[in-house]
Formats: sequence, structure tokens, C-alpha cells
Amino acid sequence: MVLTARLMTDSEDTKTFFSREIEENMDALYGTALRLSGTGADAEDLVAETVSKAWTAIASLEDRRRFRPWIFRILHNCFISNYRREAVRPRESVYEEDDDGGLVALLNAQPDDFLVWWANPERQYFNNMLGSAIMAAIDGLPDAFRTTIILINVEGLTYDEAAEALGVPPGTIRSRMKRGRTMLQKALWEQAREAGIAATTHNSRHET
Amino acid sequence: MSSDKESHSHDDIGCLEAIEAFYAYLDGELSDPQAIEDFEHHMSHCRSCFSRSEVEKLLNERMRESGTSKAPDDLRSRVRRLMDEF
Ligand SMILES: [Zn+2]
Repeated sequence: MVLTARLMTDSEDTKTFFSREIEENMDALYGTALRLSGTGADAEDLVAETVSKAWTAIASLEDRRRFRPWIFRILHNCFISNYRREAVRPRESVYEEDDDGGLVALLNAQPDDFLVWWANPERQYFNNMLGSAIMAAIDGLPDAFRTTIILINVEGLTYDEAAEALGVPPGTIRSRMKRGRTMLQKALWEQAREAGIAATTHNSRHET
Repeated sequence: MSSDKESHSHDDIGCLEAIEAFYAYLDGELSDPQAIEDFEHHMSHCRSCFSRSEVEKLLNERMRESGTSKAPDDLRSRVRRLMDEF
């Protein structure tokens, strides 16, 4: 077969290409694996497994310029099948629908205190906010949103690349960003409230 | 071409539409020039959305700084050994 012959003659070239791409994406792959799996040891295993699987499936990479979404898709699939945290996250499906009324419904469902806070964010509070606190808030999001935010906002994938990596339509990525980032804001608001920085309407200490 | 519609005041719908476009805009994923113009116009008039976008930009920067990790050296050599066997 022509294809087989081409693969044979290109094999050295393909391997060079593959190795270079893996090297270049190593930090991003490890960083994503670490955020997804939660431990360094799991992350290292996940990356190693991804590299093996990817090489086996190299013929499925149709466009070399799409290496990044392709390799992240393999990483994500490995994570789903072997490393996903045991805890089931039933809330996830609630946020999955992709209708236009979604954002209105989502905002309507938020406490007024949060919406007021979000409309007047305290710049100073965010300036002082630790990166680790933000990442902890992201880790607490349902998987679909957590993964999307990590790929786009942490690792810098485009929406198209993230859609390909996660095997969903681009519209779903847009929707997940809106909902996921709103949920992230809410988690940060909750942190601020616990720290006593954001005001609350009910004061639990002085019940009448 | 320029419609002289009253655009100095915004209402909740305006903010909602802005929020709809918020992350696509900040992530550089809003491509329709009209949508970009509408969004930027709203930002220039709406204090809430403007300060919200400043905070979201700050969050974007912070996530980029704090979320990324460097692959450990032992992982790099493990993967190199792995690829040597391909
Ligand atoms: Zn507004």
C-alpha cells in the first residue's frame, strides 16, 4: 500500500517530529496532568501513558499542525479511563445543557449578595489574591468546567483546540467558559466571604 | 450607515449580552467586528462590566502564572527512554 510505504520511509522523520513535539509540550502536558489527577506521581504516569498511546496512534494525526489538540485529547482520554477521581460529580450534568437561556437561568440562580459583589469587584482584593487560592477554586469545579478552564486559561489552548481536545463542539466550549467562569467567580466570592471580606446580608453571629 | 440609536444608557439586557461575550472577548475568541465593537462600546459605558472585565483579566493573568508547572527532570528522562524504544 502507498500509505504503508510512505509511513515506512517517513518513519525516522515522524519519530523526530513526534519527539520534538512531545519535548515542546512536556510542561503543558505535565501541568495539565497534575491539575487533573492531583498528584505528581499520577501526573507522571499519565504523561508517560499518553506518550505511549500517542505514538501507537500517530497515524490518526491527520494534520501535524493539530498536534497540540490531538495530544491533549489522548491525555484527557487516558485521564478519564484511568485516573479520574473517584468522587462522582453529579452536579456536572445539570450544567451541561447548551441553551441560550442558560446564562440567564444561571445568573438568576445566584444569590443577590454574589451578583452585587461581582458587579462591583474589589480590585484590591483580587490584586492580593493568591494564585494558589484561585487554583484551589478551579479544582473544586465540576470536571467539564475545570478541564476546559485549565486547557484554555492555564495552558493557552484556543477554543477550537480545546473543543478538539475534549471532543465537544466549539459552542460547548463557549458555554462552558461562561458557566465555568461564573462558577469560579462564585467560588472566589465564597472564599472572600469566609475570609470576612465580602459582606453578607445575614449575620450568623447576631441572631435575634 | 451609522444608526443614531440611543446607546448611552444600558439596561440589564445590555449587561447580559456583554456577559455572554465576556470570556470570548477576553480570550481573543470574538471574531465578528460588530460583536467586538458592541462589546467595547458597552465596556466604555458600563462601570460594572468594565470593573468586572478588569478583574477577569487579572484572573486570566494569575491563572497563567500559577497554574502552569514545569515537568520534573525524571519525567523528562523517563519519556525520553520511552521514546528511544519506539
Ligand atoms: Zn454592563
